[in-house]
Amino acid sequence: MSLEINKKTLEHLAKLSKIDLDPQEEEHLAQDMQSIVDYVKVLQSLDTSSVSPMNGGGELENSFRQDSERENTNQGNGRELFPHTHEGLLAVPPVFK
Amino acid sequence: MDLNELTISEFSRGIRKKLFSAEEVVSAYLAEIHSHDKNIGAFLEVFESQARKTAQEVDLALERGEELSPLAGVPLGVKDNILIEGTRTTAGSKILESYVASYDASVIKKLKEKRVVFIGKTNLDEFAMGSSTENSAYQVTKNPHDKTRVPGGSSGGSAAAVASGMALAALGSDTFGSIRQPASFCGIVGLKPTYGAVSRSGLIAMTSSMDQIGPMTKTVEDAALLFSAIAGKDTLDATSVSHEWEGEVARPDPSRARLLRIGIPREYFIEGLDNDVRIVIEDVISLFKSSGIAVTDVSLPHTAYAVPCYYTMMPGEVSANLARFDGVRYAENKEASRSPLAQRGKGFGTEAKRRIILGTFVLSSGHHDAYYKKAQAVRRLISDDFRHVFQNVDVLLSPTAPTPAFKIGEKVDNPVQMYLSDVFTGPTNLAGLPAISIPGGKTSENLPVGFQLIGKHFCEKDILALGRWYENETSA
Repeated sequence: MSLEINKKTLEHLAKLSKIDLDPQEEEHLAQDMQSIVDYVKVLQSLDTSSVSPMNGGGELENSFRQDSERENTNQGNGRELFPHTHEGLLAVPPVFK
Repeated sequence: MDLNELTISEFSRGIRKKLFSAEEVVSAYLAEIHSHDKNIGAFLEVFESQARKTAQEVDLALERGEELSPLAGVPLGVKDNILIEGTRTTAGSKILESYVASYDASVIKKLKEKRVVFIGKTNLDEFAMGSSTENSAYQVTKNPHDKTRVPGGSSGGSAAAVASGMALAALGSDTFGSIRQPASFCGIVGLKPTYGAVSRSGLIAMTSSMDQIGPMTKTVEDAALLFSAIAGKDTLDATSVSHEWEGEVARPDPSRARLLRIGIPREYFIEGLDNDVRIVIEDVISLFKSSGIAVTDVSLPHTAYAVPCYYTMMPGEVSANLARFDGVRYAENKEASRSPLAQRGKGFGTEAKRRIILGTFVLSSGHHDAYYKKAQAVRRLISDDFRHVFQNVDVLLSPTAPTPAFKIGEKVDNPVQMYLSDVFTGPTNLAGLPAISIPGGKTSENLPVGFQLIGKHFCEKDILALGRWYENETSA
């Protein structure tokens, strides 16, 4: 499988990734990504039709904790460290113009 | 006695025998940082007054005759992707330049109880993405053995700090070799624990299915002490595992070495392996063999697929983990507009952007099965390779990295070349196995070379016992 990372693909991916890129950066990134995609292509040569994908780092399944009383998280502390607050509420940039 | 060359065990005995106080030792390390770190660049921040205060408390507690942990008073460097409450934690990234941690990582909480002295936060590749510590947004760390060379990465700051006597030991994190490769480049010991052995709570996540925190120390004995202090199940990390860490993990028994069978994976002696590195590793193997320890050749046939597997799968996890950094939460870059797109564009460095965008690609509709899912299947094949060989041997021995420390700037423009420096360390992360890098010798240019011991899941005691045995043999 050969796949080309062109300017249009990259701009679409950058938008999905919520990252503003400047034009110079775009050119470099497109080249780098092309070389990485070409490099990892070698995986396609392996037959994995009968292999179950490994989904995590360990073999744990359904790792639940007891629903018991525990040390409180430090919500107040988190609020204090939030870049912008207004009368104790978290202030974020406007979503609608 | 040079206080900057102490091991944890020597330090711990010394403060009890009143050969020196914890405060004197901490002062010696702080002095070393003040006079030499401008040439090395290992630390992003130094906690001078807090470090002295904790050391004084340890000295007072000893005066009062309190029982203390062997780690009490030890000046420890902490990689700057591990949270310490109330202190700045940047992960080496501009996007977290003003972020102050609001809680302690679970490993920090454990070490605080043992009255470890946190001497400072150490430099790293941005979000632990890199093999040279050149990707930090703040500074390039230099290798103390040759300042024109990299210390390895991503835990390069921690490795350089320990190797140059600016920290007695340090914490690093290892996703594909980030503890072991810098340990090899800087001539120290680095242990990557079994996945799930140490809590990841409070470690800024890069690749959640592979990240592990581990010790970077001067000796295997010290690595064992520090590891046993941070290991264990933690309710704040659902992937941590409850395991009976027997006493022999803290104090591994070198006499067990003779009972262990070593396998040499032939795929780790490839073209591209530096000749000096090969010679060092062959000498190490000869030493084990000549002492009657069983050594056999084994095969891990899918080794060559580990790096491409990782560079397909990891970006997917990175793009998800780094989605939360948007300049709205955590920290704001005042120089960019408040739009998350601008904050992310200005806040992330090149490698982070590369991985996020690549991750968005491998997870996107139409590519998910061909890339991400394919890589997960290959990950299973690599993991199965280890499972098969571990039916006949107990430990695997290999070079830690294919080369000694390379020159600063040498690989920075070629990501694929840079990725290949993790070719021997990465497979163990894919399989979740424990592995340690131990100094094995030097090249003709006097650069350190580490060898790697890989153990079965939760068999840190095996690689530590063999490591201790090697240390005893070579120090005599």
